[in-house]
Parts: sequence; structure tokens; C-alpha cells
Amino acid sequence: MEELDLLKKNWQKDTHLSNQFSENDIYGMLHKKSSSIVKWIFIISLIEFGIGFLLSFLMSFTKTNEENMALLKKMGIYEINFVTSIFLYAVVFYFIIRFYKMYRNISTDKNTKDLIDSILKTRKVVKQYIGFNLSAIAFIIIVFGSYSFSVGYEMLANKNGDLNPDIPIHLMLIGILVMTLIAAIITLIGWYIYKLLYGILLKRLNKNYEELKKLDF
Amino acid sequence: MSTDLEQSFVSQLKTNQNIIHKICRLYASGDDAHKDLFQEITIQLWKAFPKFRGDSKFSTWAYRVALNTAITLYRKKTRSIQTVGYEKQEFFISQEDYNYEEEEQLKLMYKAVYQLNDIEKALIFMYLEDKDYTEISETLGISEVNARVKMNRIKGKLKKILNP
Repeated sequence: MEELDLLKKNWQKDTHLSNQFSENDIYGMLHKKSSSIVKWIFIISLIEFGIGFLLSFLMSFTKTNEENMALLKKMGIYEINFVTSIFLYAVVFYFIIRFYKMYRNISTDKNTKDLIDSILKTRKVVKQYIGFNLSAIAFIIIVFGSYSFSVGYEMLANKNGDLNPDIPIHLMLIGILVMTLIAAIITLIGWYIYKLLYGILLKRLNKNYEELKKLDF
Repeated sequence: MSTDLEQSFVSQLKTNQNIIHKICRLYASGDDAHKDLFQEITIQLWKAFPKFRGDSKFSTWAYRVALNTAITLYRKKTRSIQTVGYEKQEFFISQEDYNYEEEEQLKLMYKAVYQLNDIEKALIFMYLEDKDYTEISETLGISEVNARVKMNRIKGKLKKILNP
């Protein structure tokens, strides 16, 4: 291709480009903050892990709030709550370690395909983590919500003099349904925000990855 | 207040900055975007520098990290307007052998290259830098055969853009 040869000739001849940077300019650049997408993924992930921890912490209010502890004991779910909290902490910890390992694996001196691959894998860990958190929230809302509903109903009935109330099955079903609906809405909103965030951030990366994969089938 | 490592890095980057400028011209349009990308590449190079053992030339190592940064890590701050950049390419043409027809041809060629996607630009960049297909395939992480095939397709694509 004639034009490409011309371009190549011109390209290589070109040794004195304008706007050269001085050593001082480069020194200045060294200490600037990176605004790479990996950095953004890292920051966003830290926030997400932070929220996860907060969630686990709120779920394990056993020590921080005597009243809640008493309530939980009264409801008979103190042990369940305790086990759930430990489980949540363990899972968050597991995800953080995996995320950190993946993050450390991102290095710009790999080939382009491997680099994009490692970035997307790191993001996948965060995605799984978010998926886990949202399901956990949904599960907690449905199970604990419905349980609280039935306990609340019993307490109210006791107050009214009925010491051994039977919750009508349709009322219980409505309770579960309402809780499921709330859980579904919260989960969907959370997932949508999450998708939107990463969709914007990773649009170009995904496009380039697809392009490379298309080349090597 | 700089360490020896910093000093060695800065002086090597200064000497080899042209290759980074060339990548910036391909991927960023406008002076601000150019400087922005150059800065991000510098940061990424500096981060990776402790691992640079000198098995390859500094320039070879640097252009790989720079290409990776441009393709994967860099976030364009504003939507790029593709046609702005190529006007800036005029200074690529050295003054001594000024040739109007050639200059027009070159302009069109740059304009065509700008319409390629990020991966295609990377291939063209390495082609223009006279890298062989082994190096091109290693840099991008694709097979040599596919690198050749893709390069031929890009040539076809450029031809089509030039002669629609």
C-alpha cells in the first residue's frame, strides 16, 4: 500500500517532535495521581467492601445494642443472627483476599490481552461480591422480615388477650409476599446502579477485549 | 529530593519520549488530552519501572506499557472528536523536503488512521515503528498468524477509507 509506505517513511524520519517535556515536567508527572480505570475499580471496590462491612456490622449489633440483643433473644433468633454475622464477615474477608490477589496481578508489562483479562477478572470478583451481598440482603429481608411479622402479630394478639394465636395462613402469605416484593425492589435498584456504574467505566475496555478475542478464536 | 531510581527513570524517559508522544498522538486528540495521556503513561511507566530489568531496551519496554495504558487503562476525560487530532499532524512533515502533494496524501492517511479502533491503531503503530510480527503478536497477546491477517485487513480498511 503506497500511502502506508509514505506514512511509514514520514513516521520514522520524524525524530524532533514539538512539545517535548523537560526532566522537570516528567518529575512533576511522576507524583501526579493516576486516573486509570484500574484505580477507579479499586476505589469503587473499596467503597463496596466498606458498605459490605457496614452491613455485616449492622447485622451483628449483638454487642453494640443491648436492647436489640434482648429483642433477638426474645424472638429466639439470637444464635441464628450470631452465626449469620460470622458467616457474612467470613465471606467479605474471602472476597477481599481474592480481590487483592487479582488486583496485584494487574500489570501493564503483560501483553494487552492478558492485561485486559486480569482487569476483567478482578472486576468479576467484585461483581460476585455485589451479587452475594444483594442476595444476602434479599434473604435477610424475606426471612427475618417475615419472621418479625409473625412475632409482631403474636405480640399484638397477646396484648389483646389471645395467648395462643394462630396467624391466618393468608395473612402470613401476604406478609411473605410483601417482604419478597421489598427485597426484589431493593435488589433490583442496587443491581441497576451497579451495572450502570461499571457499564460506563468498562465500556471501552470491553469493546477492546471483544476486538482482541475476535482476532484470536 | 529525588532518588537514583527516579533520576535514572526520568532521564531515560526524557530521551525516549518521542515514542510516547507518537502513541499519544494516535490515541488522544487535542493538546490537553495529549498531555493527559502522556501523564498517565508516565505514571504507569514509573509504577512498572522497578520491574524493568533491562532485558529489553527501555524504549521497547516503554512503548508496550504505553500502548497498554492507552488501550486499557486510560479514561478519556471528554468525548474525543476524532477529526481534531489529525490537523496537528502537520509538523510530522519535515520542512526540508516539502511536497504539497505528499503532504495532502499524508493528511488523508492520518485522517484514515484516526478512524481505526484502538486495537487496529496499536497494530498500525507497531507496523510504522517497523516491529516484526513476532513482537506485534507478543505485545497484543494474539497469534502471529492472526496478527498478519489483521494487519492485511487493516490495510484493506484504510484503502477503503481513502477511496470510498
